[in-house]
Amino acid sequence: MSEPLPFVQRPVPASAGIGLRAPHIERVLAERPPVPWFEVHSENYFGAGGAMHAALARIRADYPLSLHGVGLSLGSADGLDLEHLATLRRLVDRYEPALVSDHICWGEIGGVHLNDLLPLPCTQEALDLMVSRVQQVQDALGREFLVENVSSYLSFRHAQMPESAFVAELVRRSGCGLLLDVNNVYVNSVNHDFDPLQYLRAMPHDSVREIHLAGFTRKDRLPVPLLIDSHSRPVADDVWSLYEDALALCGPTPTLIEWDQDIPELEVLLAEAGRAEERLHACRAAIA
Amino acid sequence: MPAAPRLHELQQGFADAVLGRSDAVAAWVDGAGLEPTARLRIYRNTVANTLTAALRESYPAVLALVGGDFFDVMAERYRLEHPSTCGNLQHFGGALAGFIEAMPEAQSLGYLADVARLDWLRQLTALSADAEPVDAVCSAAAAAVAPDSLRIVLHPSVHLLRSTYPVLTLWQWCQAPSGPAPRMDGGAEQVLLWRAGGDVAMALLDPATFRCIEMLADRRSVASAWAAATEVDDEFDLEPCLRDLLAQGLIVAFTNEESST
Repeated sequence: MSEPLPFVQRPVPASAGIGLRAPHIERVLAERPPVPWFEVHSENYFGAGGAMHAALARIRADYPLSLHGVGLSLGSADGLDLEHLATLRRLVDRYEPALVSDHICWGEIGGVHLNDLLPLPCTQEALDLMVSRVQQVQDALGREFLVENVSSYLSFRHAQMPESAFVAELVRRSGCGLLLDVNNVYVNSVNHDFDPLQYLRAMPHDSVREIHLAGFTRKDRLPVPLLIDSHSRPVADDVWSLYEDALALCGPTPTLIEWDQDIPELEVLLAEAGRAEERLHACRAAIA
Repeated sequence: MPAAPRLHELQQGFADAVLGRSDAVAAWVDGAGLEPTARLRIYRNTVANTLTAALRESYPAVLALVGGDFFDVMAERYRLEHPSTCGNLQHFGGALAGFIEAMPEAQSLGYLADVARLDWLRQLTALSADAEPVDAVCSAAAAAVAPDSLRIVLHPSVHLLRSTYPVLTLWQWCQAPSGPAPRMDGGAEQVLLWRAGGDVAMALLDPATFRCIEMLADRRSVASAWAAATEVDDEFDLEPCLRDLLAQGLIVAFTNEESST
């Protein structure tokens, strides 16, 4: 097989991109919409070849690309799956993405994968473990790695620090970048009753390389409010407002619209990205 | 109150709760207005839904044959007996065919396991590595090698399935299940799967051709593949078999080694 041509370096701009999902790939290839950048789920491209890779190579040739993982299970007490990490490394070498990320969570224990973004206790032990894991990943990939704060539906009684301190310390100590999911901050602020603005203020703003936005759903008929990070709806008004606060703190930052369930027409995602772009524009104007 | 659990113990307890084995970890969950077990149940449901959705995606023909309700019950039992062992969901579900064979409720559906095998092989075919087919120069050079030492490297997307049921006919019927279902006593079918362009292609093979390609895929010599095929059908003709493989771009190398890259 002939060696593929190297890709041109394409940094992700401080504009609003969209998460590229299977139902839209064909249209994106045919129509080349003016999207500033795309993000894909890394594991969807863990297969060795085939149509998915052919499409991604064409997209990478024309658009900046971010690889966003959901399966590395960074915070598992068991240790990293080195085969998973090696596959990610090959994918990174193949596509030379501008950004590579995964989540501050765990998903595997005792060889069983729960294939979910499960919450870590905000303890010193979990923090120390996450710091060493992120360093291990950055060493293996030979580049900066981003970690994302996740939505959660419970917290642990033996937590020793607030989530915001856990995230900020992890980024500071491991020297990684932060993928700040503003929707997840909002969801957790409702689920765990904290001030989301205070959370944003506690973040290491210089390390925020990317922002995620998505829609949540609300659980009804419960004695307390509970939001689920469903990625199935438009971004909520309160989250747009919190996004403006995040931009004011971090400056213009690459922003991604995520939609993973009940995926609508591409136009709906482009319109959501447009709403983010308006706010990025206002942020740029404010600092100019 | 006992000492706070270490991370490993907490995660094991959390997994036990999510898998429905024990809710003991609830003692360390802050209920904050809800029962701690109700909060754990949210994760139990999302984990179950994710894995069931992954199986539904990997096994569309099985789903079409048995319907959503039966499928989801089967998926629930399957994931507890064969938990996911990989952060990449594309690997989850590979043992479903064997699981179906052992399911008492599926005993009357003998064909179902083979339909599951075909669904799974289609996924493997779609995700296989890419490879360039051999060119004419290479093929001409191969013609000079004695057939008893010539071996063929097939495209990584090539997969084979032999069934005592009309599995491909049934699979195709599942794509638009209307009208009478195919007869299950319609005879055995041998299926070749490969990738054509970006799509998964499937074709029925006669038993001798199937045997020949099976031997070639096993990296046996062309002479022994031919011999094995003629045991199935003494009128088997090697030439059209190789010509079709070449024409579909499914031969990626010739070698005279027993194993080759």
